[in-house]
Amino acid sequence: MICCKECVDLLYEYIEGSLDSGTTKSLEEHFQECPPCIAFFNTYKSTRTLCRDTLNEIEIPDEVRHTLQSFLKEQKKQQEKK
Amino acid sequence: MSFTQQKEEREIEEALVKDLQAGNLEAYDKIAESYQKKIYGLSFNLMRNQMDAQDVTQEVLLTLFRKINTFQGKSAFSSWVYRITLNASYMKLRSKKKEPNVSIDELLPSFNGAGFQQEKIQDWSENTESLLFSNETKDVIKKAVDLLPEKEKVVFLLRDVEGLSTEKVSEILDLTVPAVKSRLHRARLFLRKKLSGYFEEYRSKKGEA
Ligand SMILES: [Zn+2]
Repeated sequence: MICCKECVDLLYEYIEGSLDSGTTKSLEEHFQECPPCIAFFNTYKSTRTLCRDTLNEIEIPDEVRHTLQSFLKEQKKQQEKK
Repeated sequence: MSFTQQKEEREIEEALVKDLQAGNLEAYDKIAESYQKKIYGLSFNLMRNQMDAQDVTQEVLLTLFRKINTFQGKSAFSSWVYRITLNASYMKLRSKKKEPNVSIDELLPSFNGAGFQQEKIQDWSENTESLLFSNETKDVIKKAVDLLPEKEKVVFLLRDVEGLSTEKVSEILDLTVPAVKSRLHRARLFLRKKLSGYFEEYRSKKGEA
């Protein structure tokens, strides 16, 4: 059986679906015998989604948007003069 | 997105870039419109400061405008934009006093001599739904990401937050694909550990109540 360290090292490729079938099988066998690694796997996946959802919420604030708009307008005006 | 859609988008973008190189200002508007959220979001996540992110976004938009003729199309246009954004953000960060990052190794999982889990691992993954809406949780997540060392942070932001492919990230950062994967894995392990501390404490508090 593979150990927990090997199991953790394989999680990245496991999520990507890029492990060969033999390695996938030994990983899944490890999960069956090792609840801590299942917990580890679940929380590893959750970490990714939680961080993604939280950091993706960032929108350009209105005042910044306005500043950018006038900045672009100004740039274009200068360009047209040339 | 399907393969054909991706291909179409790329073609539209290539046409816009050509137009801009030819001096068409309408193309500039379209490019600025489609990229400014990405530029702002990435620089904000790197610097966590609205004024700085605004400065960087302006600077990048200006660079796109002025330096468009130096873009040779060797890599994707978007990779070029991301690279300019990263450079501008790093310049800004360097000009400020920086707090030292924690060592990532301290927060990687630990195993005993036989390679088995040494610490007690709680599965908090099912509790996160209700927690995600709390501002406290969001702050904890942002602080954890802020603590990531620069090398791991940028890979994490591009791949897991922006959702770019591993190949694309390796193109932007000029890293090998295995290097991208290993940095990303380390970043996730680091963040998992940080979030575990928070969620486990939350869970035990709830248990007491
Ligand atoms: Zn295990």
